[in-house]
Amino acid sequence: MSRIGVFTCHCGENIGATVDCVKVAEMCKDIPGVVHSVEYKYMCSDPGQRQMQEAIKEHKLDGVVVAACSPRMHEPTFRRAAGDAGINPYMCEMANLREHCSWVHEKGEATTQKAADLIRVLVEKVKHNEPLHPIKVPVTRTAMVIGGGVGGIQVALDIANGGHKVVLVEKSPSIGGHMSQLSETFPTLDCSQCILTPRMVEAAQHPNITLMTYSEVEKVDGFIGNFKVTVRKKARKLDEHLCTGCGLCIQKCPNKKISDEFNEGLGTRTAIYVPFPQAVPNKPVIDTLNCTYYKTGKCKVCEKMCPTNAIRFDQEDELVTLDIGAIVLATGFKLMKTDAFPEYGYGKHKDIIDGMQFERLASASGPTSGVMKRPSDGRSPETVVFIACSGSRDRAKGVPYCSKICCMYTAKHAMLYKHKVHSGKAYVFYMDIRAAGKDYDEFVRRAIEEDEVKYIRGRVSKIYEEDGKLIVMGADTLMGGEPVVIKADMVVLATAVQSNDRSEELAQTLHVSYDSYGFFAEAHPKLRPVETNTAGIFLAGACQAPRDIPETVAQASGAAAKVVGLFSNEELTREPIVAVVNRQAAPVYSTCVGCFICQGACPYQAIEQEEIMARSGEVIMTLARINPGLCQGCGTCVATCRTKAIDLQGFSNEQLYAELMTL
Amino acid sequence: MEAVIQRAKELLEQGEVKAVLGYAKGTGSARRPHFARQAGQLDKLVMDEACVQNLAVYVTKHEVKKLGKVAVVALPVTQRAILQLMAERQLRDGSLAILAVDDGAVKELDSASALEEHLALKAQVLNAKDKASLADLEAMDQGQRWAYWQKELSRCMKCYACRNTCPMCYCDHCTMDCNRPQWVPVASHGIGNLEYHMVRTMHLAGRCVECGDCGRACPVGIPVHLLTIGAEETVHELFGQRAGHKAKLDYALSTFKTDDKESFIR
Ligand SMILES: Cc1cc2nc3c(=O)[nH]c(=O)nc-3n(C[C@H](O)[C@H](O)[C@H](O)COP(=O)(O)OP(=O)(O)OC[C@H]3O[C@@H](n4cnc5c(N)ncnc54)[C@H](O)[C@@H]3O)c2cc1C
Ligand code: SF4
Ligand code: SF4
Ligand code: SF4
Ligand code: SF4
Repeated sequence: MSRIGVFTCHCGENIGATVDCVKVAEMCKDIPGVVHSVEYKYMCSDPGQRQMQEAIKEHKLDGVVVAACSPRMHEPTFRRAAGDAGINPYMCEMANLREHCSWVHEKGEATTQKAADLIRVLVEKVKHNEPLHPIKVPVTRTAMVIGGGVGGIQVALDIANGGHKVVLVEKSPSIGGHMSQLSETFPTLDCSQCILTPRMVEAAQHPNITLMTYSEVEKVDGFIGNFKVTVRKKARKLDEHLCTGCGLCIQKCPNKKISDEFNEGLGTRTAIYVPFPQAVPNKPVIDTLNCTYYKTGKCKVCEKMCPTNAIRFDQEDELVTLDIGAIVLATGFKLMKTDAFPEYGYGKHKDIIDGMQFERLASASGPTSGVMKRPSDGRSPETVVFIACSGSRDRAKGVPYCSKICCMYTAKHAMLYKHKVHSGKAYVFYMDIRAAGKDYDEFVRRAIEEDEVKYIRGRVSKIYEEDGKLIVMGADTLMGGEPVVIKADMVVLATAVQSNDRSEELAQTLHVSYDSYGFFAEAHPKLRPVETNTAGIFLAGACQAPRDIPETVAQASGAAAKVVGLFSNEELTREPIVAVVNRQAAPVYSTCVGCFICQGACPYQAIEQEEIMARSGEVIMTLARINPGLCQGCGTCVATCRTKAIDLQGFSNEQLYAELMTL
Repeated sequence: MEAVIQRAKELLEQGEVKAVLGYAKGTGSARRPHFARQAGQLDKLVMDEACVQNLAVYVTKHEVKKLGKVAVVALPVTQRAILQLMAERQLRDGSLAILAVDDGAVKELDSASALEEHLALKAQVLNAKDKASLADLEAMDQGQRWAYWQKELSRCMKCYACRNTCPMCYCDHCTMDCNRPQWVPVASHGIGNLEYHMVRTMHLAGRCVECGDCGRACPVGIPVHLLTIGAEETVHELFGQRAGHKAKLDYALSTFKTDDKESFIR
């Protein structure tokens, strides 16, 4: 016979004002198996908890029901207290008298009765509870960071400085991300390369960091502390160990007219190339789509030039599988292209460019060496129009959200332009100026007041070309919607920040959730912003939502702290609320029939196949087995199994049946 | 039939299969399953309109599996059931020689992929009678339909013939036999009968191969096959998936596709 104690809490007025707690405590004394029932004003308070612990000892209780608030609120509190008093923590259950009763009903006899019924149900559950023990899983203390932008670099450095190994996987030939393309950065106008390059080098040289550039994650198996990640190292067509980065091959490559991604199509590069001079690692790759040898079978000039014989035309992609304990996603964003705007000529006007192209024009390392020249004819533009919110906050473009960084970089662009072309005129069309951030509003004011950038609140409905000028037709909503027409030499669209290409595919590979725009979803918008819903996978930077550099770096350090925290344990303890496929004595073995319908239903890939073998080694049957390290206790498999072979520990069929039957 | 018998004979004599499962004459015009383990027993095999039973129900039985490789004279419903059983890992791919008989022609298929290809060639059509009965049920309003089934199922005596004849009800430990806890009462009575049939319908929605054997098996003539076939048709309508068409498990109720229609979820 069970010896169960019931502790009814008034929660101040929260429960006490609606439910007659004294009467409830009295009623509970009559439930079979209950040997002790009391009420108290605040069970969660120190004296409340102590009262429970003393009762456990004094009355030799083997189970406890705390009738109070939601278990989401205080289940850990009471389980810990019960555990400290000497019973298995999982023999303590909570009846939710607050959310499920007092908050949703009027004061009255029926409400009090319902409170007593809720407790009766939980008493029945406790009678069928079994002591459970936390699950321990070992941790591989190596992290993987996916994406080598400023966010990924920061995460990698912080974890490495915390004393743990990091593998940094970057899909392009160099780390650096978008920040390496920027000219100067708001709100301080310091040179982007100058502050980023040292970090890139530090990451490359750090003894705890392994760089895997020109690589992509193909497959992720396993679970927190124990992932197995397969990475595809794309063939650079070059032996990285032999290459010294001298660049002779690049100089001699005859194929020089390839549109340059790093310069956003405003410059050209060769078929064997490094994306930019400060690239890390400073080792070229051969672009096989454009290389003459791969197209015609002839050339191999680079091979002849290379002093160390590093070129490998026959190199193949390589698949590497790594043991990883935690993963940080830092894959960044992409910008909407100018061809998404029919009203601005579908991107066919060369002088209508996007923000990143402007960065390259303004950059000292860019195709014009930082001199303002418009792309069509190389003339210095005398009038430039900047259009903020191009595509952002525009449902018709599928981007209802604010891209967050454009207000700031548009002000920066207008300012940089004025600094370079003193006589030039800069106009900014905007919807609102969103410059919340340390020194941000001051920065925008400086553009308007000191650099005399003309801000016009309104939208541009159309741009067309006439006599070598771009005619910008807008409206000034602060002047009653009065039409504004500007003859411009160049137009810069601050196009929307979007989730990166194939981010949904990557999310599916890693089993993390994403929002309807393809940005990775955090576990809680306020309280768990760097975690994903999948344990052991974290987020940093613009892959989660549009972000500027300070925010990216701050979040990156946050994610790194989570990883270092995780790695501070040799083993992880997990709640034992996991599903179990039953096992029985031979010849039954299990009521599982091995249909593996549950396997497809499990959202966490926790269900494995187990072969039951005879002594002879012959496989008698193949049954489902749940990996307790992976199972999140969602119960989906329990509902899917026709033969009820699966039970969720702590919520077994028998427990639920007993609960229902007591009503 | 000559061709089938000829091929079956070869298979038996060459020792490629240990038995041939087909139909033989039963009492009156009825046909019954027939296991031929020697060539001499093959001449009893018949194939005509009266052969309707889904023979797949036998091939998952331990006694049959123990025989070794078996050849099965397989109507389209039997083929679908075998393919679904392979997808659900109840039959090993290659453990059967399937003598597919559709519209008089015979074709030998010995793998799940061959079955899948073969079945993909023909559209699955529901027989006219079941189609009409389903339409009649559909035409009723919810109250009428509820009353209809309550009345019909009140006659059920829980003999479980419908379950035992169903090739997809292969579970060694059916939920109905689970007594810890006893979710569904053992005795036959209103609520319990309803529970049993609702459970069976849900277990077969997306898995039913539409042979109709459960309805034929019922000794008191309850058209229980309309429940499972009706559910199967609904699954097909909503998710485009059908039991017995894919070698790899493709079960609507345990998977999701990003383009699943959700218009019916309210
Ligand atoms: C025009 C413009 C101007 C800006 N100016 C400023 C400014 O002045 N100040 C400021 O604070 N911010 C500025 N920003 C914002 C800044 O660029 C971002 O905040 C920053 O780049 C975000 O860093 P990140 O590491 O999250 O992403 P990214 O910089 O996008 O880096 C992501 C990296 O991940 C890699 N990657 C992507 N997918 C994969 C994959 N599947 N596998 C492996 N690797 C992958 C990419 O190749 C890239 O290297 C500007 C942005 C724009 C567009
Ligand atoms: S659904 Fe049930 S019977 Fe099928 S494999 Fe999973 S546990 Fe076994
Ligand atoms: S409870 Fe959920 S997570 Fe655990 S095995 Fe079942 S379906 Fe997978
Ligand atoms: S009713 Fe369900 S559990 Fe029972 S045999 Fe059929 S499929 Fe299996
Ligand atoms: S065969 Fe008929 S009587 Fe028997 S269990 Fe099925 S429905 Fe009931």
